[in-house]
Amino acid sequence: MMTQFIYGLLFYIFLMLPPVANLVESIMITHMHMQMPMLVVSGFLMAGIFLKRFPRFFEKWNSNGIPGITLFMIVIIYWTIPRTMDEALTYQAIEAWKFISLPFLAGFPLRDSWKKLTKAGKNLIIIIFTVKYFGMGALYIWSEDQLCNNYLVIDQLTLGWGFITTAICLVIYLVYAFTVDPTKYE
Amino acid sequence: MQTSVSQNKLVSGFTDKANKALGISKQDALISKSYLAVAFIALLLGGLLGLLQGLNRAGLLELPAWLNYYQVLTAHGILLVVVLSAFFTIGYFYAGLSHTLGGLLPKVRKIAWIGFWTKIVGFVLVVIPILMNEASVMYTFYPPMKAHPMFYFGLALIVVGVWFLAAGAFINVANWRKNHKGEHLPILAFFATGVFVLLVGATAFVAVEVLFMIIPWSLGWVDTINVMVARTLFWAFGHTAVNIWYLTAVSAWYVVIPKVIGGTRFNDYLTRVVVIALVIMNITGGFHHQIIDPGISLPIKFMHVFMSLAIGFPSLMTAYAMFRVFERTGRRKGAKGALGWIKKLPWGDVRFLSPFIAMAAFAPAGAGGIVQSTNQLDQVVHNTMWIVGHFHLTLGMSVVMTFFGVSYWLVPYISNRVLTPKMNKLGVIQTIIWTIGMVIMAFSMHTAGLFGAPRRTSYTTYGDFSASLGWDPYMAAVGVGATLLLVAVIIQVYAVFNMMFFAPKGTTEFPIAEVEADEAKTPYMTERWGVWVVVMLIVIAMAYVLPLTDMIVNAPPGSPPFKTW
Ligand code: HEM
Ligand SMILES: [Cu+2]
Repeated sequence: MMTQFIYGLLFYIFLMLPPVANLVESIMITHMHMQMPMLVVSGFLMAGIFLKRFPRFFEKWNSNGIPGITLFMIVIIYWTIPRTMDEALTYQAIEAWKFISLPFLAGFPLRDSWKKLTKAGKNLIIIIFTVKYFGMGALYIWSEDQLCNNYLVIDQLTLGWGFITTAICLVIYLVYAFTVDPTKYE
Repeated sequence: MQTSVSQNKLVSGFTDKANKALGISKQDALISKSYLAVAFIALLLGGLLGLLQGLNRAGLLELPAWLNYYQVLTAHGILLVVVLSAFFTIGYFYAGLSHTLGGLLPKVRKIAWIGFWTKIVGFVLVVIPILMNEASVMYTFYPPMKAHPMFYFGLALIVVGVWFLAAGAFINVANWRKNHKGEHLPILAFFATGVFVLLVGATAFVAVEVLFMIIPWSLGWVDTINVMVARTLFWAFGHTAVNIWYLTAVSAWYVVIPKVIGGTRFNDYLTRVVVIALVIMNITGGFHHQIIDPGISLPIKFMHVFMSLAIGFPSLMTAYAMFRVFERTGRRKGAKGALGWIKKLPWGDVRFLSPFIAMAAFAPAGAGGIVQSTNQLDQVVHNTMWIVGHFHLTLGMSVVMTFFGVSYWLVPYISNRVLTPKMNKLGVIQTIIWTIGMVIMAFSMHTAGLFGAPRRTSYTTYGDFSASLGWDPYMAAVGVGATLLLVAVIIQVYAVFNMMFFAPKGTTEFPIAEVEADEAKTPYMTERWGVWVVVMLIVIAMAYVLPLTDMIVNAPPGSPPFKTW
């Protein structure tokens, strides 16, 4: 747990380094599909030790995982809105909010909630993401206008295809989850 | 506490005994034999062409007017990097699946044969236009160079053949898992699963390139082709293919070599993690072949440096694992001091010697790979003989010498014959000649490349231009190396067919090392291939969406076909 925390923290610091942050934020798709998930991962890694230290807190607020995963979804969905990305690049405060909310309000609750969810609950979350990703993909691909002041239309189009391909991967996972019966193998 | 791996051993202990008593079933053996026979015939032909190239580049041999240098080079590349490697990999893993999973299913055998003949027909379709000098486009077949359409139809059939083989392997693995609930897949079958997953992933890219871009263009249905997209799809395949051959060799390093030297294998969990890591991160490495390509922005190239170097990590783990196993085994045999274990290794056993040299070659080969992944350094060596030197180290030594080492027990095993001491000695001689030849050839290729000698160019002095005359001594050494190599090829091919049809009858063991007795249980997570495949797909999507969208949306007008030869 401790080593995981240290790796998570180092990863978090690495992502904060100005050259790293500048590079990934200079491209729309790496901003949303690389930096943001990696921030969540860094929080996920750091969370373990806190879950162990403060089990009662998490038990009290997140006994069945649903509050936690709801918080996770809200934070993630918030950050896929074009405007939020723009603001993160424009206002220091929003940029700081990104670096706080994704690891600590998405990564932490994800770590605590995922294992508490039932299988159906997990699949439901993935289904929601799949639908949303197809929707966001369509939005970014077919919108005629530039959605972000900071990114070009081509960036937007690329991000749209990133959403679509990720959604396709999720569909493949869901097909696998619903057609392959693990009890036959495990 | 009993670990599930060792439980697994108990169950497979039974099939092991059955297999030991009966050997491999005749039908399963025939499949592997056919694949290996094709592989080594390809080695003979490819080696012969390699000698022609080597002698030509040395300035010793002018090819006759009816034989074009690029025609030879195309055939050499395809025979060795596609046919030899793919057929060996399939023959070896199908024998491994048969051995560790208690025989192939009748259905799977049928699929394996369909795949075999699909590949052979595809291969014939590829060879005909090459022989007619209608497809001298080299094994990379980069547009806008255009070959005869038959060439591309042949490639497509080869890919379909690979898919049959992969499907067969998956069916057999799934069936085994149904009958062995909760157990870990035997380690060699685990490697096979990873290899076939990667084969499907890699060939999907080239299938898109060939079916949807090149074939319509080569038939004249469309006028132009997007060259950058085609190259990108090709390298997603080409890079991965080469890494698959490497992963095949690595499987023998982890699983077989420890047994050959009388030891146990490296930690089961870490071994499986290495396989999974290589599968997930491999395909995206293809971009390092395009470091010098225009039309890919610098930040993308920069990020892909990490993707490429990431693959180096499991390779370094492998290097560590191998030396750990060697040392542990040597010490158990009573070795003293820091390096005493080296003396305890069976140097006179070709089944060890050849793969050992293969592993050693990976050190300079890997270092060269890191050089080439670095943009500034690659500017110097890109498209020079350096690159040719590099992949003769990686493929011509690390991969192929492991395959040779494997052939000295695999061929007798599937043929119900034995490796005689005499044949072993011949194998050792073969190994030494090949090593000397390849070291001379690869070293001179690297050096000539550093001085600027281009690859894929038949002999020329550029009008006796002084700088290019400086390459000549090194290119002459390439000719010397090539000659030694052909001698080694002939011995190796002789050995394979002798062991297949003429060696004394008897039973040969399929060497699979056991895990350490006190090893902790491997988490079941490693067996969730469905999840790993999805992770792999997401990584691929992330890596390719950005450059491909850019190449398609901001595409130049596209290129009509050219016949440059
Ligand atoms: C008898 C042993 C071998 C000899 C003498 C030999 C020699 C050569 C030479 C001289 C070249 C041409 C360089 C150029 O003009 O660019 C070449 C290219 C090549 N060789 Fe080999 N080689 C041998 C074995 C192998 C093996 C075992 C492999 C792979 C498994 C291999 C794979 C290749 C490939 C992929 C190319 C590049 C073809 C191209 O540029 O399109 N070779 N080889
Ligand atoms: Cu590569």
